Amino acid sequence: MSLLAWVLVIISQLALVAGQIFLKRAMSRREHGGEKARGWIGMLTMGIATMTVWFLLWLGVMHQVELSKLMPFEGISPLLIVLGAAAFLRERLNWRGWAGVILTCLGVLLVSAS
Amino acid sequence: MHDQMPAALPKPAPGLFWNPYLQIFLTVLLTAAAQILLKVGADYSAANDTFWSWLGLAELGSVWTWLGILAFLASFGGWLYALRFLPLSLAFALTNGVHIFVPIGSWYFLGEHIGTLRAGGILAIIVGVLFLAQSVAKAEEKV
Repeated sequence: MSLLAWVLVIISQLALVAGQIFLKRAMSRREHGGEKARGWIGMLTMGIATMTVWFLLWLGVMHQVELSKLMPFEGISPLLIVLGAAAFLRERLNWRGWAGVILTCLGVLLVSAS
Repeated sequence: MHDQMPAALPKPAPGLFWNPYLQIFLTVLLTAAAQILLKVGADYSAANDTFWSWLGLAELGSVWTWLGILAFLASFGGWLYALRFLPLSLAFALTNGVHIFVPIGSWYFLGEHIGTLRAGGILAIIVGVLFLAQSVAKAEEKV
């Protein structure tokens, strides 16, 4: 993989995590109502825009890089989401949650490697 | 981005259809269906090699492409709904169920072979999803 491909893959994964955090934020705001609810449409738009960046970058790197080399990045995305959600949404997982995330990542890696 | 305090998640409306886990399941199924429909639409347009097909616009002439787009929109709606009620980390990890359905569907409908490595991966995802489901059940008991 070229340096450019690495950079694009990393940016696309960051966009995926950020986009999902924006979407979750938007839906939480909408739920809480009151003062906070006002910004939810803006947050949703940010989420959709960031997910669009992820989608286009991902399509772009798929044209340049073999799919088998990209699949491991797809495999670790749940782990990145857990870390992002812990940092920005203060979500905490119990040990079962961690075991589940690690096993699904491992499973996706095995399925994509086969 | 630290302006939000963790708050108790709201309860969904009663009825099976409004269950957020069912919505995640539907999201996964609809995403897989959308990908297949878009692929069918793309194959249809690849057959006529015109200027528009190079722009990716010729696909829009196929009803399969529009069904694919509809399926994507519906899956996005289901995903947003599920996010109202579930933590992002759990909801996102559960969407990995797609990696169970695609190989099993390819084996059942297309007769594709599932090797040992792939079978091991599917098993790991199934056990992983069961752990995730248990972790949610434990978290809900505490609320």
